[in-house]
Amino acid sequence: MIKKIAILSAAVFTALALYACAPGEHTSDFFAMDTYMSVKTYGVDAAETVKGEAERLESLFSVTDDVSEIGILNANGRVEASDETIELIERALYISGMTDGALDITVYPAVRAWGFTTGEYAVPSPEKIEELRSLIDCTKVTVDGNTVSVPDGYMVDLGAVAKGYLGDRVRDILKNAGITSAIADLGGSIVTVGGKPDGSPWRVAIRDPNGDGSVGVIEVKDKCVVTSGGYERYFTDENGVKRWHIIDPATAEPADAGLLSATVVGEDGVLCDGLSTALFVMGAEKAEAMWRKEGGFEMILVTKTGDVLVTDGIIDSFSLSEGSPYELKVIG
Amino acid sequence: MIKTRTWIVIIAAIAVAAAGAILLIRFFGAPGTTAEIVKGGEVLYTIDLDRVSEEYEIEIGSGDGDRNVVTVKPGMICVSSADCPEQICVNTGWASKDRPYPIVCMPHDLVIRIVGAGGEADAEAE
Repeated sequence: MIKKIAILSAAVFTALALYACAPGEHTSDFFAMDTYMSVKTYGVDAAETVKGEAERLESLFSVTDDVSEIGILNANGRVEASDETIELIERALYISGMTDGALDITVYPAVRAWGFTTGEYAVPSPEKIEELRSLIDCTKVTVDGNTVSVPDGYMVDLGAVAKGYLGDRVRDILKNAGITSAIADLGGSIVTVGGKPDGSPWRVAIRDPNGDGSVGVIEVKDKCVVTSGGYERYFTDENGVKRWHIIDPATAEPADAGLLSATVVGEDGVLCDGLSTALFVMGAEKAEAMWRKEGGFEMILVTKTGDVLVTDGIIDSFSLSEGSPYELKVIG
Repeated sequence: MIKTRTWIVIIAAIAVAAAGAILLIRFFGAPGTTAEIVKGGEVLYTIDLDRVSEEYEIEIGSGDGDRNVVTVKPGMICVSSADCPEQICVNTGWASKDRPYPIVCMPHDLVIRIVGAGGEADAEAE
């Protein structure tokens, strides 16, 4: 009898202790790549490795660090770069070609002139904009072996693809560590490994560009979800027009193609990251045409006119928020 | 000399009491949606948003160009003003149980993170 009491109470206690704290969940957060990141894994704690990887890539790609490979390239017009920097530049140039120049890694002088790196916002004069336009053309970036060079006055910024590259690396690191369930928030770019520990998909909310809530939720497994929008980094000019940080390479002015945000869902982090910026610049019509032609990704576009356009590959995984003022339309 | 039987009864009683305590904390006493205000890696404030009854403000920073004013309301928290250049923390808006995503001010090394909330999703793409 006594033995039974002992065994039973020990069992009850153990079961409850396990229930009280989710088993094997590891969460940690840190600053890296000029943004805030958090990682949640199950089973193995890999946060330190992820943080180390983010810092390593930052030391290669950072545009504000004078001694990063990109910093040296921008200061000297030339650099002997690592294989990884070369790979990322070449992939960005490929996405630029695929999007007819809507993504351009040489847009940085314009981003700077508009004040988006310092917070000292200003609408440049028409002459200045003309000059800035002549400094944006990533086809002038030359890669020869591991040597990268740019013409005088040109600057390269990998900011539109670097977090995507980190996302791909993070997923590899986590999988190699034997982790089958994880979610990482890399400054608003979401990377998932597998689904949740119970096998259900991860739920990723898409920020409402017009308010505090979300437009809807997309359910994913083993995918990246990357959003570009103009709702966090912007200023209002003297005519009351919102000017945001995503610059249209064709005009050297903030992109204004009718979208409030562009979200890309796919397996390839670099592609998702680069395309989210490019689609925002292109607008819904061109984005749809490219989706039909190229494939390999799915998208959620929020338009100025109140539509949420979702491609049919993910329509079953997407749910519009309750009471949403948006109208859901399927691209298929 | 206490008998083994007695020990077992005592240990069993403690185990059952502890299990009961865990259940009670989990269902009745546990904090709900909690906001942590973290600056320079240090948790400055821990606020149980479910127990906030009146709106109030907290000023964070040494006053040397690193000021963030945090507004706390029942169930919600936001950065209402700041002297950082880009105002991303202010533009992020409210964090709450339904929207448990971090509010970040990079220049001031400040994060408001929500712990213990389910929310509608596991993360937010932005």
